[in-house]
Amino acid sequence: MAEAYFPVGPGLGTEENFLSLDDILMSQEKLPGRAESALPRLAVLLGQGAGSGESVPEGSKLEIPLWLAKGLHDSKRRIISVELPKIYKEAWRTVFSADANVVDLHKMGPYYYGFGSQLLNFEHPENPEIAQTILQATVSDRVCSLQTFVARFRRIMDSSQNAYNEDTSALVARLDQLERALFQVGQKGLNDFQSWEKGQASQITASSLVQNYGKRKLTEVDG
Amino acid sequence: MEPAEVEFLAEKELVTIVPNFSLDRIHLIGGDLGPFNPGLPVEVPVWLAINLKQRQKCRLIPPEWMDVGKLEEIRDQERKEDTFTPMPSPYYMELTKLLLNYASDNIPRADEIRTLVKDTWDTRMAKLRLSADSFVQQQEIHAKLDNLTLMEINTTGTFLTQALDHMYKLRTNLQPGESSHSQDF
Repeated sequence: MAEAYFPVGPGLGTEENFLSLDDILMSQEKLPGRAESALPRLAVLLGQGAGSGESVPEGSKLEIPLWLAKGLHDSKRRIISVELPKIYKEAWRTVFSADANVVDLHKMGPYYYGFGSQLLNFEHPENPEIAQTILQATVSDRVCSLQTFVARFRRIMDSSQNAYNEDTSALVARLDQLERALFQVGQKGLNDFQSWEKGQASQITASSLVQNYGKRKLTEVDG
Repeated sequence: MEPAEVEFLAEKELVTIVPNFSLDRIHLIGGDLGPFNPGLPVEVPVWLAINLKQRQKCRLIPPEWMDVGKLEEIRDQERKEDTFTPMPSPYYMELTKLLLNYASDNIPRADEIRTLVKDTWDTRMAKLRLSADSFVQQQEIHAKLDNLTLMEINTTGTFLTQALDHMYKLRTNLQPGESSHSQDF
């Protein structure tokens, strides 16, 4: 209510919000993939070669950002094929189901939840013999993301509501971006209440913008 | 909503004062107040009571629930029960803060009262967090909590609604939606 504008939040489910800064940053994360056909003259763009005329040979491994992978992904013209990054695969899923609180989600790609939701866009129809396994995998991916979130929720709530005026960098280091936003909201609620209780809510303080005006005028007179 | 706004709403509550001046009935938009006669108790809203007290024109009488015995009872009941006990005033936190800051000389055993109210507040917040956690863990669809005051809801509300939003987004992934086909060219 006190804000002058509301930032656009990240998108819902498998759709991204076009105007959301979080989604834009998140779609920059890279996916492992393979070039299905030769890509003429694109070797430099994709980091494969040195000359400006080289092409990417068929079948070579690439690291593609998500926005590029989504655009090039087409079942008819086989340009790119993508595979799941290893943190969304079976091995890590068992780690999450064992204890989700231990994992350092910031290191595993700072946009674990958003990226995971976007990966569900790729249904991999061009590999029919593993489509069944992938479908199975993607279904349990979805359940896993939700369960991870639910398991870590308690830790985020407790730490954000109880750490008043302390250095929170140690607590926040292991959270991914979505959880950090939640943590900040919780902290803000706590800080607002504490400052109200101390009586600071009704004190008028000079705005930080205005505090610099006096200093700036001095330098203008001197310079 | 900010705590200051909740405090503003709390200032409409009525409290008894004993003025030391005299004034006829005043007609305000919200209703009539007075008449004020020195030495006779009269009920006024908290905002007026605080203002008069700051100008040393009245003496405040604490509300009948602001008493050590009563607050101890409430605190013990809060600790015993799993659900929330009904509080004597829907704005107990704000009234405590205002009255104890501006009129602590009119309230007997003010420090103990402050401690007791703080204890009750902490217990209630802990219960609120516990129920929010079990709500999320079991992924229930809706929950009902009785006897919460606006201040408590305001402090934890934003966090809880945002967390539930994220859960909803992750949960829509569970429904396999129709795949959106990009344009063929």
